[in-house]
Amino acid sequence: MGHYLKELLVPSISRKRSGRVRLALDDQEAQIMRELIREMETLLEADIPRVDAVVSRLFPDAYDDADESERFRELIGDQLHDAKRAALRTVKESLGTEGKVSVTLAPENAEEWLRVLTDLRLAIGTRLEIDDAKMSADIDPGDPDAQALLLLHWLGWTQELLVEAIDR
Amino acid sequence: MKLKAGSTVVAPDTDQGVDVEDVTEVDKPWLVIVWNDPINLMSYVTWVLQKLFGYSRPKATKLMLQVHQEGRAVVSSGSREKAELDCFRLHAHGLWATISKSY
Repeated sequence: MGHYLKELLVPSISRKRSGRVRLALDDQEAQIMRELIREMETLLEADIPRVDAVVSRLFPDAYDDADESERFRELIGDQLHDAKRAALRTVKESLGTEGKVSVTLAPENAEEWLRVLTDLRLAIGTRLEIDDAKMSADIDPGDPDAQALLLLHWLGWTQELLVEAIDR
Repeated sequence: MKLKAGSTVVAPDTDQGVDVEDVTEVDKPWLVIVWNDPINLMSYVTWVLQKLFGYSRPKATKLMLQVHQEGRAVVSSGSREKAELDCFRLHAHGLWATISKSY
């Protein structure tokens, strides 16, 4: 990640009485999300072999047995891809093209946000080969992965607030 | 002594019991197992289990903690079709799930 995250704040997320969720991101946060969405779109469009760790985490085997897993994949076809792409489109629409973001999301769209945040965190965390210890440790500023770790945590805070807003 | 017609009732023959077959591999339900991963948030996993399976918050929380502490938990079971649908829905929510007959 090429971002220099100086001071990422916790985004503003709240639940309205209607059950809709208000979400506000400042310029920098919105820009980071737009870039991450573009990267995820590229990943989903690319024909990356299943041996890639991120791809195999986003599209996991359903069985221990390779033949059974392949049968399952044929059974579900493009549905998993399509679900991920549809959720990405929703998030992309709520982000707009520039500037800060202030949107009110219908519950089903807030859930798509949750799934996209999950996929982004899985992609970043898998690429970092993260484990429980690294996940819970403070970030060492000298760590070459410090920026990506900060991003992973920021996406986590955002997701935590969204879960709270949806789940009451 | 006269017997009144219809005064006797023949009890059903209970000796001819149905053979109880051993439960075979075929009869065992398919299990959907969620595995621990270091990335997904505990709150999110709990929410997903509530949403997909209609579990109460205490039940979903208990399963999430089992995944977190023991490395895995059976979150649903049933026919192969049901297990595959549940597994697909879990994958769509980013949880690491597999299908198996044994745990």
